[in-house]
Amino acid sequence: MLVYSLLAGLLFGLYFSLIGLGLNLVFGVMRIVNLAHGDFLMLGAFLAFWLFTLISLNPIPAIFIVFVVFAIVGLPLYYLLVPRLLRAKDPEMLSFILFFGLSQVIEALATIAFGTSERSIPGGELGRAIVAVASLLTGHHVENGPVDIFGQTFPAAWVASGIASGIAVLLVYVYLYRTRLGYLTRAVMVHREEAIATGINVHRVSAIAFGIGLGLASVAGVFAPFMLGSITPAMGVEVTVTSFTVIVIGSLGKPLGTLLGGIIYGVSYMFMQSYYSSWANLLPYVLLVAILLVRPSGLLGRQVRRA
Amino acid sequence: MPKMLHHVTLILLPVVAAFAILPTVYSNHLLLFNFMIFIMLAQGVNVIYGFTGYLPFGYVGFFGAGAYGFSLMVIHLQASPLVALAAGAAAAVVLGLTLTPLFRLSGAYFSIANLAAALAVFQVVSNPNLESLTKGPYGISLSGVFDPTFAYGATLAILGATLGLVIYLRNSRFGMALQAIREDSISAGMAGINVVRERIIAWLLSALIAGLAGSVFAWYVSVFYPETVFSGEFTIFAIVFALFGGNGTVIGPILGVVILYGIYNAVGISTPQYFQLIYGALIMLLVLFLPNGLVSLLRQWGINVP
Amino acid sequence: MTRHAIFAGLIASVISVATTAPAADAPKEISLGTLYASSGRFASISMPVHYGLKLWIDQKNAEGGVFVKAFNKKIPLKLVAYDDQSNTATAATLYNQLITQDKVDILIADSGSVLTSVAVPIARDHKMLLINQTGTGATFFTPDNPYIVLMADPVSSVWPKPLADFITHDGPHLGIKRVAILYATNDFTGTQANAVRKFIKESNSDVDIVFDQGIPTETSSYTVLLNNIKASNPDAVIHLGYASNDIAFLRNVQDSGIKFNFVFCIYPGLETELLEKNVGSKGLNYVFTYVPSSQIAYQSQFGMSLNEYEAAWQQKYGNTNVEFGFNSVAGYTTGLVLEKALAAATSLDQLELRKAIFSLSGNLKTLDGTFALDEAGAQIGEITPLGQLIAEGDHVKFVTVWPHDVSTGKPIYPRP
Repeated sequence: MLVYSLLAGLLFGLYFSLIGLGLNLVFGVMRIVNLAHGDFLMLGAFLAFWLFTLISLNPIPAIFIVFVVFAIVGLPLYYLLVPRLLRAKDPEMLSFILFFGLSQVIEALATIAFGTSERSIPGGELGRAIVAVASLLTGHHVENGPVDIFGQTFPAAWVASGIASGIAVLLVYVYLYRTRLGYLTRAVMVHREEAIATGINVHRVSAIAFGIGLGLASVAGVFAPFMLGSITPAMGVEVTVTSFTVIVIGSLGKPLGTLLGGIIYGVSYMFMQSYYSSWANLLPYVLLVAILLVRPSGLLGRQVRRA
Repeated sequence: MPKMLHHVTLILLPVVAAFAILPTVYSNHLLLFNFMIFIMLAQGVNVIYGFTGYLPFGYVGFFGAGAYGFSLMVIHLQASPLVALAAGAAAAVVLGLTLTPLFRLSGAYFSIANLAAALAVFQVVSNPNLESLTKGPYGISLSGVFDPTFAYGATLAILGATLGLVIYLRNSRFGMALQAIREDSISAGMAGINVVRERIIAWLLSALIAGLAGSVFAWYVSVFYPETVFSGEFTIFAIVFALFGGNGTVIGPILGVVILYGIYNAVGISTPQYFQLIYGALIMLLVLFLPNGLVSLLRQWGINVP
Repeated sequence: MTRHAIFAGLIASVISVATTAPAADAPKEISLGTLYASSGRFASISMPVHYGLKLWIDQKNAEGGVFVKAFNKKIPLKLVAYDDQSNTATAATLYNQLITQDKVDILIADSGSVLTSVAVPIARDHKMLLINQTGTGATFFTPDNPYIVLMADPVSSVWPKPLADFITHDGPHLGIKRVAILYATNDFTGTQANAVRKFIKESNSDVDIVFDQGIPTETSSYTVLLNNIKASNPDAVIHLGYASNDIAFLRNVQDSGIKFNFVFCIYPGLETELLEKNVGSKGLNYVFTYVPSSQIAYQSQFGMSLNEYEAAWQQKYGNTNVEFGFNSVAGYTTGLVLEKALAAATSLDQLELRKAIFSLSGNLKTLDGTFALDEAGAQIGEITPLGQLIAEGDHVKFVTVWPHDVSTGKPIYPRP
């Protein structure tokens, strides 16, 4: 039971790292609290659902389509909302409310368009993709079904999303630390005013980061029908709060931090489910408050305080 | 002093009198009651956000604490309603005290932590293991104290007290100190204001208001699930109403509640499906184009707003 | 002579006034006030109930109205309905509006325990009888509150009896000795879990409960829980949760390759179409569930039979995305009970209506089963038998297995 919880927590936590990755990027770069993050995840999930239902597109290739669609949506959305917001007296606080409004608008439009019933994609679909890749790599036919790890059996979907999260974290890391754009992004993350002073087109860098952030959220959404059971237009809000826990634990602006945060969250949640199941939902909130009080900059970060 | 008296007669008395008289001509008392609750909550947010600049995204935690404080006193100690009201208020203030370490955090972190704290309280209260104490997720059903008229009267009194408090803040040195802290806490500290202490007092006052509102809510409705009194909607509405009307003033939140909550109820009854959409869009437009609220418009036109 | 004439004239006028007075007093229409949730988490159980009620109303109005004994004539029905968006505070204000502003003659609750709960004290305070459609929370029905009656679902403390009886009577013969219970902690499923536990413990059979855990209603990840349940080696697994819990649970069972001999879930029975879409017929194969009245053609002695009702529903609502099922039957049943009650009540006084409704207990057989109330107004009839689902292509069919007098086949245990 212990080993199973640990491994399950690892996989589950990786998924939450993926969810937190986009939020981390947006908050780190713009100091904007994107309360609509979970709703973009929901939109990504629905897009994947419709792609599967209408043209039988397997979720794995759908990931790329979904990412591109939402990254592109992010750019004009940024220019529409953020510059005006940053001119106000208290942009951080107002961003809370602005993006909450956005979250309500998205949820309302989704409810009108899709109705309130639960939707899902059959679990075997992700398995099929893994099987295809595994068969290619090992040279002989692999069965589509649950996956064995160290003798414990897990749904194929969990393994697939774990792998995808790992890849995503790696890609974001490469983006931030190995590309010129990423370098500029990190500059903006550290100190916005100084970045402007050195001639960086802060708005452009932020807009791109925003688009990537939304794209990541929607990619996490593609895995949602498998990891979270089913998708409905109203699922966004809870996901947002949990993703805050993940990024806060790991510290802002660092993709590796989000990875760590996700894993810590996942493992502790699975342990709670095993031993104190009815208290399981208390965990993220207690973790969040505890981390903020003991080490507000997160486990990997530097001090961020105000008098 | 005279200015305060001026404000009291111009604002406090008419509002309280209006809510005292309306039940005689409009029989949906519950709706009037809800208006009063939201005015109180918006003023509570006003006290902490308008005056000190911290956004309490978990404000409903105090409301729920008040509701449960009241209910537990009635259920386990068979207390009379007024004693239970005091207990509910005390519960909220105690919760506020417990959360004061959060002030070490800056802006957004504070709000997120406050939200998480409120959700944590909700999870604890609604946990089935605590069923014998709080009735867990199965909800509270208060019998024996059901008295809507008395509860309505108590609400009127609390409303008056809340407005009085905000008027006091608006016109006193304490209120000015708070606003100084909001603008620039370091300079305020250098000017001799005890930043930490003043902030905590404002926070506890804000918690007290929400606690009283929660207690009287529990008294009036007498049947509720934990989700009802810990619903994020209370926080959001209170913040939006306060923002819409304008923070840091007495009239702002009242205007915000009367206009926006009024629209909410009118629209809600006629075109419900587009309701969430309209409300969300309204909130976004508000933040983008009128972040300082209606009173900022009035100020632009040269009217000094209390 | 003149005095006689005057006297006769007086008597005549008194008699004519007395006989025409009821007809003159008869209202133009009987107003029914209710709420529905078009959005939010209760929309999927609220809209079908609301549409079912509306179908009955429209049908009656097409016939000229409902026969009201109090005025000895048919009177048309008027529906006053508001949207509470699954929000309890809004619902409370709207219930109040219906009573104090719209002054409805009959107050009908929204669907589900949560949205019904706020109406209970309001109705009681205003001395209006609350027509509770599907709010099965056991705490609503107390001996000191006469202003509530449950129409269409059995009360939660009684509902799982067929399940418990099957397990304790037939179970041991089939080899069921160890039972695992996993339930979501809310009023509806938590009360059912308490009831199952109680029935099993009181049954004096060999059946033991080897796993008994409550989880938050928002739970959507069951992989670890399933592993733990498997570790306790149960013969039967009972999962009590809402539709989204059942969907996640059954999908996780399928995806993790775990095979349990016996699995019970509530919603494959109550919202079959939804579960078929999300879990698939393969995932529902051999699963045990409640057999809802939308699957059993009960001998209905009043109102439409199941087939007639389903046909009427498809004609009226077939092109909407509100699904036909258990809840749509519930709304229609409410209408039928009201129809019978209005035909028996001597006035529109709320307690008179209650007496009329109680007089139907045990005697009214509709497409929902036999209507039966206990003294506090809780529904103890209209019980849903236990059945097993067998996959047929993309859909599932029901095989009723308990009670024996209505069973249509033998249960398949253990699961192949």
